[in-house]
Amino acid sequence: MPSADLLKLTISELAPKIQSGQVSPVELTEAALAQAHRLQPTLNSFITILDEQAMSQAHQMEDALAKGDYRGPLHGIPIGIKDNIATAGIRTTVGSQVLADNVPGEDAHVVALCKAAGAVILGKENLEEFAAGVTSNNPHFGAVHNPWDLDHVPGGSSGGGGANVAAGVTFASLGTDLGGSVRLPGTFCGVVGLKQTYGRVSQRGLLVTSFNGDHIGPMTRSVMDSALVLQTLAGYDPLDPSTVPVPVPDYTAGLGVRLAGLTMGVPSDYYFDLVDPQVESAIRMAISALQELGVQTIDVSLPSMEFAGALRIAGMADSVVTHEPYLESHRDKYGPDTLYRTLAGQFVLGKDYSKSMKVQRMIKEEYAQVLQQVDFLVTPTAPVAAPRIDAKYIELGGEKHRVRGPGSGMISRNTSPMNSTGLPAITVPCGFNDQGLPIGVQFIGRPFNEATLFRVAGGYEAISPSRGRRPQISEG
Amino acid sequence: MPISNETLKAMIRDFNGFEMTDAELELIRPEIDNYLAAVESLDGLDLSNVMSGRLLKVDEGRSSDA
Repeated sequence: MPSADLLKLTISELAPKIQSGQVSPVELTEAALAQAHRLQPTLNSFITILDEQAMSQAHQMEDALAKGDYRGPLHGIPIGIKDNIATAGIRTTVGSQVLADNVPGEDAHVVALCKAAGAVILGKENLEEFAAGVTSNNPHFGAVHNPWDLDHVPGGSSGGGGANVAAGVTFASLGTDLGGSVRLPGTFCGVVGLKQTYGRVSQRGLLVTSFNGDHIGPMTRSVMDSALVLQTLAGYDPLDPSTVPVPVPDYTAGLGVRLAGLTMGVPSDYYFDLVDPQVESAIRMAISALQELGVQTIDVSLPSMEFAGALRIAGMADSVVTHEPYLESHRDKYGPDTLYRTLAGQFVLGKDYSKSMKVQRMIKEEYAQVLQQVDFLVTPTAPVAAPRIDAKYIELGGEKHRVRGPGSGMISRNTSPMNSTGLPAITVPCGFNDQGLPIGVQFIGRPFNEATLFRVAGGYEAISPSRGRRPQISEG
Repeated sequence: MPISNETLKAMIRDFNGFEMTDAELELIRPEIDNYLAAVESLDGLDLSNVMSGRLLKVDEGRSSDA
């Protein structure tokens, strides 16, 4: 099979070809590396491309196959890792100058799991500085470009991963999501992005972010692939106290099962209050499509979301504490957006932090009640499609809202609440705006019930207007 | 609910925070304004009976699928 065709496949399509010997991990990795180098000047999606390591791993996986040691669906599959996830012996910058020379001694737990499953690590992917924003306009390593329109952002903070998956460079990329940083690149790049339940996947080896709701999650080209990657990542890690010892089910078991009999909740509060008309239209069409598949609809009320703005208060304080040692020694190495957004956190009062935690609890309980009535919730993933790279503001509700830096947060308003509740959420492509930029629909589920989310997302994916669409990249 | 640069500077001085010039304080102003607006939105909201978000309760949501 020509390498260009190989790179268009999904993991679930490739896996049987690798297992049967029809496709070799070495030829696949060579093709992916060639694609990475070809597109790097255009997308700027990597900070480090791991040619030697990737080829070495590919040869190991080929040798393993020859000995009958097939590791599963990720065997020989090239993937990307966001550059804030530790990789042993490989520079891990967190998109910063502060940690430009940081070389971890150990792999993050998720990286170790992927390697054990046979995945080939293609490179470390570009991101927002310190993963603190939604654009991936990195002040030190340059802006990542959206494969669907190079003048637009890929979303952030895991923008390199979103761009690579969409552009046929990696078959999956691991990102991190503290306010939507997997789901926003998912929606802006037209791929599937998963933030599973808090506690489902170990965060050990995730560097320098807030400890308030961070998650490592996959971006993939299909819902099936998302399930396959989560299958590899999920589980209790005794060395990460944030993980929960809940048994891991077979995430692919429900894929393809009819959706009739399920009930979806459509929030009447908050999520549709500030949304671009074209985005809202795409989401309403997705809701109609789900109804045609037999899903019952209930309008649900989430009145406590009126106070959702307070959820960010804890994160502000967390951030300045996380950055404290770097701010003391390397303040001059920060880009202004991250620096001044972070420094604002030093003014958060303790009583307000406590109130933020209580609001988080109040909202969490409200979602728990609503999710007794419905199997899942459906919302726009982002209120807009991808802004231009040079955009300082977006306009919504007749007002201008900052895209990045101090005072920003509008773009992540629909994703960040689930970082506080810890509930699982997945974004699936659901169409395009009139500029040809992707739009994503977000499904939110019950705690530790990613299986139902995959069933719903997979059922919708099969009829989505985005199905089969790929970006045509104009290389510079 | 605006807050003056003098107050912010006093907080930095008295609580041993990170020094900031007037120009830098203006750069963080939008983030501070968002924070103060969020706090203001909580005026009148009784949170006295709400447990901390960090504590687990046995009746959170439905049981897992596992």
